Amino acid sequence: MSIPPFEVLQPESLQEACELLGKHSSEGAAVLAGGTDILVDIRRPIIPEHLPRCSGCDPKTLMPRKAVEKPPAYMVALSRIPDLSGISEAKNGDISIGSMTTITQICESQLVREKLTALAEGGDNLGSPLVRNRGTLGGNICNARPAADALVPSVALGAQLELQSVNETRIVSVSDFVTGPGRTIRKADEVLSKVIFPALPEMSGSSCIKLANRKALEISVVNVAAVLTLDKAGKISQAKVALGSVAPTPVLAEKAAASLIGEKPSDDLFKEAGKTAAGECKPITDHRGSALYRVDMVGILVKNALQKALERAR
Amino acid sequence: MKKLITLSVNSLEHELAVEANVSLADVLRYQLGLTGTKKGCGIGDCGACTVLMDGVPVFSCLVLAVEAQGFDILTIEGVAEGSELHPVQKAFVEVGAIQCGFCTPGMVLNALALLDKNPDPSEADVRLALSGNLCRCTGYQKIVEAVLTAAKDMMKEEAQPEEAK
Repeated sequence: MSIPPFEVLQPESLQEACELLGKHSSEGAAVLAGGTDILVDIRRPIIPEHLPRCSGCDPKTLMPRKAVEKPPAYMVALSRIPDLSGISEAKNGDISIGSMTTITQICESQLVREKLTALAEGGDNLGSPLVRNRGTLGGNICNARPAADALVPSVALGAQLELQSVNETRIVSVSDFVTGPGRTIRKADEVLSKVIFPALPEMSGSSCIKLANRKALEISVVNVAAVLTLDKAGKISQAKVALGSVAPTPVLAEKAAASLIGEKPSDDLFKEAGKTAAGECKPITDHRGSALYRVDMVGILVKNALQKALERAR
Repeated sequence: MKKLITLSVNSLEHELAVEANVSLADVLRYQLGLTGTKKGCGIGDCGACTVLMDGVPVFSCLVLAVEAQGFDILTIEGVAEGSELHPVQKAFVEVGAIQCGFCTPGMVLNALALLDKNPDPSEADVRLALSGNLCRCTGYQKIVEAVLTAAKDMMKEEAQPEEAK
């Protein structure tokens, strides 16, 4: 059960980290943030495959747990780089969160809870308190799991990612960043330095709901994040709905969101939006739940998430 | 290649040579002989290896020893003062919150961190704080009771005037 061998590099600046990642990319270099995912993923799995949890599951669809084929030869730790953690609000209301900010710090921030409620609620359900104490926002985003508890609300909140490399700083939207399970457009010598959440207008509210079999240490069956903004007349002027665990990446339910714009919020409207969102996802059947069940739950959770976001927008 | 590091464990500084891929849990157990820190799953699920780093509970199996430098590490061995048990430990004994004992060090340390942050927790607060620590004997009820008892005892102690202690 020991960790496969690698060298740890502990750069003291972002520039140095990017250089090291570039230099060692051919031998395999990984970024080490909180370590709660990568130090697990690089070990040989103890249990080679998942067991079916519900009687309706087809045993043929069991997902074998594959170990990483070649563990990285180098881990570039970000822990010693100053200024990578912290939460701040710019004059224009944008909230910027350093990539090494822990999930606990995010959940305990009054600013995040008030203005980025969906992110705080997503964080509340991530792993267990011990995972949240070490796990970071940047790690959760770069790990790019379709169910990631901080990634899904970040997609709904329209997060922008600042990626630093040796020669360049670029900003990409989180929805463009993630391309598949565990896959992103991050280049070998790039480090995610901060996550910027654009300011939401007045009369906005957001929420995140996770459906899982347990309350802690659990991966979602479905998770949904919703953001709503009302205009002065009380009609919906902006809406975003993100779905997790129902496709290879978090999904922005664009048709469902579009169906809300210009409408007066009502239970029936949200129910219909839920149905539309259910048509926008393509879940798989696995040991956590069948595809049919997941689609059904998307409908219900989207409705509930929109209702919660609405209460907060008012 | 081994790295030379200095670890501050239970207020003692240790100079150690460690491999890069060695976890804090392994260093505590095998190099420092502090076997009170247990290894259960090794993948951040069970919480048996919980230690406090600057007062924050973490899985020591998922912290590389080289990354633990510069933190004040508290293990279960550093909780009692000499032979005088900490009120949380006393409460675990009195309430009967220990069965096989494997999860106890992690539970006690996590409870310590909780009571430090929130001296008067509700039952729900305790259950949430301990939700990353598994007890295979399933003795959760007594563990939660013990933490609540300890909270009461500690508040009583705080309220006492200095000379009465």
